[in-house]
Amino acid sequence: MSMTDRFFKTREFRKLFRNKSAVIAMLVIAAYLFTALFVMCGGITRETCDTVVGQNKMPGFFIQQTPEQRYENATSKFLPMVQRALSRADQTAALADVRLGQERVVNKSAAQLQAIIDRAIELKNELNQSEDLDADSARLPQLKALEDQVAMLKAPLTGWSRLMQNASLVLGTDAQGRSIFLRGLYSIKIAIQIGLVTAAFCVLLGALLGAAAGYFGGWVDHGIVWVYTTFSSIPNLVLLVVLSYAFTDSEVKDTLLPVYIAFGATFWIGTCRVIRGETLKLKRMEYIQAAQTAGFSPFYILVRHVIPNTAHLMLINFSLLLIGAIKSEVILSFLGFGVKGQPSWGIMIRDAGNNGDVVSGFFWEIGTATALMFALVLAFNILSDALQDAFDPKHV
Amino acid sequence: MHMPEDRPILKVRNLRTRFKTDRGIVTAVDGVSFDLYPGETLGIVGESGCGKSVTNKSIIRLLPERVTQYDPDSNISYHGQNLLELSERQMRSIRGNDIGMIFQEPMTALNPVFTVGWQIEEALKYHSKLSSSRRRDKAIEMLRLVEMPNPVKRMDEYPHQLSGGMRQRVVIAMALCCSPEILIADEPTTALDVTIQSQILRLMDDLKKKTGTAIILITHDLGVVAQACDRVIVMYAGQVVETGGVRDIFHRPRHPYTRALLDSMPKPGAAGHQKRLPAIEGMVPSLFDLPVGCRFADRCQRRQPACEAALPELVDPETKSVTRLATGRTTPSVRCFYPLELRQTKERQV
Amino acid sequence: MFAYIIRKLVYNIPVYLAIVLLVMILLRQRDPVAGLLGKNADAKDYAAKKQELGLNRPFLIQYGDLLRSIFTFQFDEESWTQPGVTVGEKLVEAVPRSLALTVPALVLTSLISIVVAMISAFNRGRFLDKLLVFLAVLGMSISFLVYIIFGQYFGAYQLSQWLGRPVFSIHGYEPGLVNWAYYMLLPVLISVIVSMGYDTRFYRAVMVEETQRDYITTARAKGATRGKVMFVHMLRNAMIPIITRIMITLPFLVTGSILLEQFFGIPGMGYVLLSAIRNNDFPVVETFTAVFAGLFILSIIATDILYALFDPRVRLQ
Ligand SMILES: Nc1ncnc2c1ncn2[C@@H]1O[C@H](COP(=O)(O)OP(=O)(O)O)[C@@H](O)[C@H]1O
Ligand SMILES: [Mg+2]
Repeated sequence: MSMTDRFFKTREFRKLFRNKSAVIAMLVIAAYLFTALFVMCGGITRETCDTVVGQNKMPGFFIQQTPEQRYENATSKFLPMVQRALSRADQTAALADVRLGQERVVNKSAAQLQAIIDRAIELKNELNQSEDLDADSARLPQLKALEDQVAMLKAPLTGWSRLMQNASLVLGTDAQGRSIFLRGLYSIKIAIQIGLVTAAFCVLLGALLGAAAGYFGGWVDHGIVWVYTTFSSIPNLVLLVVLSYAFTDSEVKDTLLPVYIAFGATFWIGTCRVIRGETLKLKRMEYIQAAQTAGFSPFYILVRHVIPNTAHLMLINFSLLLIGAIKSEVILSFLGFGVKGQPSWGIMIRDAGNNGDVVSGFFWEIGTATALMFALVLAFNILSDALQDAFDPKHV
Repeated sequence: MHMPEDRPILKVRNLRTRFKTDRGIVTAVDGVSFDLYPGETLGIVGESGCGKSVTNKSIIRLLPERVTQYDPDSNISYHGQNLLELSERQMRSIRGNDIGMIFQEPMTALNPVFTVGWQIEEALKYHSKLSSSRRRDKAIEMLRLVEMPNPVKRMDEYPHQLSGGMRQRVVIAMALCCSPEILIADEPTTALDVTIQSQILRLMDDLKKKTGTAIILITHDLGVVAQACDRVIVMYAGQVVETGGVRDIFHRPRHPYTRALLDSMPKPGAAGHQKRLPAIEGMVPSLFDLPVGCRFADRCQRRQPACEAALPELVDPETKSVTRLATGRTTPSVRCFYPLELRQTKERQV
Repeated sequence: MFAYIIRKLVYNIPVYLAIVLLVMILLRQRDPVAGLLGKNADAKDYAAKKQELGLNRPFLIQYGDLLRSIFTFQFDEESWTQPGVTVGEKLVEAVPRSLALTVPALVLTSLISIVVAMISAFNRGRFLDKLLVFLAVLGMSISFLVYIIFGQYFGAYQLSQWLGRPVFSIHGYEPGLVNWAYYMLLPVLISVIVSMGYDTRFYRAVMVEETQRDYITTARAKGATRGKVMFVHMLRNAMIPIITRIMITLPFLVTGSILLEQFFGIPGMGYVLLSAIRNNDFPVVETFTAVFAGLFILSIIATDILYALFDPRVRLQ
């Protein structure tokens, strides 16, 4: 029986899969992983996330807007864009360049377009005479006419592009008219990526160092304990901020590298402690002592006997670290020391805060980031609990 | 020797204890009946997991309330009251006061953060109106009684400062300090090494003679039974399979299970020749799927077709009449269709 | 015991030296001079500023200087961004503000979560317990940021709108006990809610572990009431992990809650530290982290001593 078999086909795993909430949590996590994979394969790019797809701060779910908002919507983005393009010398090229999400200018002659715009401006000016469109129901037909004019400027959407346009508006737009939905989905990839890389790296590093410290004792142990005591004597958030500050000044600025370095340098400590403790316990076990007396090399014993027997702890720690990394990423990004140049839930929450979304009662951006993050973290929390229940029931 | 009086002090009838578990309801104790007489030591033996502890925790009602059910027919009669029907409050005044209990693990049975003296006095605090200095005197007296060296000094020590044997003495002192009528000792010597074990058993015997306390001694070790008990109940998979005086059980066991237990016992003086203890083959059946017939059948070398068809009753081995309330005091009883005959067992010597 | 403390202190000296070194090295990965000078500075200004800040001295000298100021408690280096204000002054100003936020938060959180944990452990497996455990997991799954943003929105903004007068401050700080509730109560409450999930779960696990111990059965067999078992036997044993947990969080009281201070504009340690990092104010960052690390090490030693007081099995050797 191979080592992995020995690990995966155990009673503990069966216990895990009997736990209904754990299975649901795993399905949720699978859905997130799938989305992350989709984004990573180019499904949603950074450019897509930065593309303006509609009016600023549009509510989601295509909620019926007030007349004032409809007026804004009709006049703010597309209309002036076409107007500007028509006034340019390189008219045709400029017209071809106009894009609002999936929306393009309809294939008509410049004169026809100009006529539509003139009519729209006319309607706009009339509507402008009203103090408050919301209270002025007599002007609704004019508003409708204006919307129709703007719609006539747009090429009809079909198939995929129509789907994409609708999807990108489903959770509304942020303060710059970018799709909240797409940015939220892209952030899944960021979170999962940071979580997986951090957790995998830190669990491996922590397990190796912890097992070595516990097994060899003496100076190796002192050295490793010294290193992690040092790191853990600085408040975690401060250390993360300082680390990412230190590595931000270089060419890696817009990548995730500063975040990886910050997390990689701090997150292995918990795992290292746990594995060290477990190794100290294992060392007293008979089979390890038998292997020692039989003259196997320490390295062989470590790799063949000690580390595999801490696999369950590594699994639990992996899950816990993932949660830790995802949550910390959001906070770091929020503080401006984390992800840069691409969306992340932390950045979405910060944008929402900076743009006064919450105060003005516009909860779409912060709500999306929160809900997506909440579901993922909750799923991992439930999974971690189930793992702990199944593999390490005596743990406090 | 203290002569056992004639009226039982504790009557257990038809005790059925069930647990609600994730996988359904299990009957851990299935129709156990026995009497306990003043001044006697009743042994309960059986492999681990056969319901000995559950039986006795049912008596002092220390099983987790939420998952435990007692059969409505069950009755544990003590001074005319059914212990199974008492309120928690009434039970509290019995625990430690009328019925004391000693546990298997002296290492963990004591609270590590309180002194030995505090823990002995605690029981007195609940059940007597003694002043605190009188309580202390009494606790020291108890330590002296259990032959604890240097009792005054020990009072202020913590459990971790004592050896296993000494801790067990503390537990005994604690259980006896309110002079209970009944002492339940659940594997009191299992965790101790052999010399300490016999010291503790001798101590318990001495104390029984001094105080007249009746003792229920739970063990899986027949050696302990031989040394300490007057009467024996053998349990298997939640049921009583044989009862009898200690001599009956040792000299002429009737149930194949008892016989197998005896065979797996190291024989005194034979240590040199002994190669390996013949442990009983097979495993105790799971409480989740008990067989229809005799519960020992699949491990029994004398198994007959009838054994697997129906569950045998407890019968008087001589008359074969059903003895539901067989307490083994006057006549032995056995739960077997084909009990061993005298000639099959006589070669055994204790 | 005295010998123990001394030995522990000596043992921790290398750790401490490494912490200070680590922070200094990390900070010096970036060049703060350009940032401090602004856009129109030329090479001469640059050199002069570097000289002024002492950054052109050998690294070891800088390290030695910092260590000297720490071990002699002479925090009289000036802040780079606020000339004329020494680091010590900043420290003395910021620490009480942080404490005013964190101490009440820690006390409240610990008390409430220990009680909730005991209720939960006592009802283990019942509906109430399952509900509490579920709520704790829910609470842990929501980002700290969200608690703060919505806490601030509903607690400070909406509540004031609704009552027609400000109840809690949205942003800002004034010292003084009379102002405490106005500026601090809301952040304290938010902090309590955030920590509740983690603490309750931890304390519940501790309690559940204790309920399974043999000595509990022994105590009940002696005739102890449920209450005596819970509050005398169990709690006394559970004190050991509880104390450890509280002691471990003590040093963090001083750093304050970076996020809460940031949002509510309370210029405590966390706030000052974060803006110092943003503004390349090395002396402030170095001194603040060094002071914190010192407190951290001291509190670990104090934890060992408390341990020995509460657990008779532990002897300090
Ligand atoms: N709280 C409980 N819930 C479910 N099953 C239990 C519980 N306590 C004991 N049992 C079961 O009852 C059976 C008898 O246990 P016990 O009386 O402790 O055996 P022993 O004879 O070794 O003392 C065992 O199979 C055990 O698994
Ligand atoms: Mg038992």
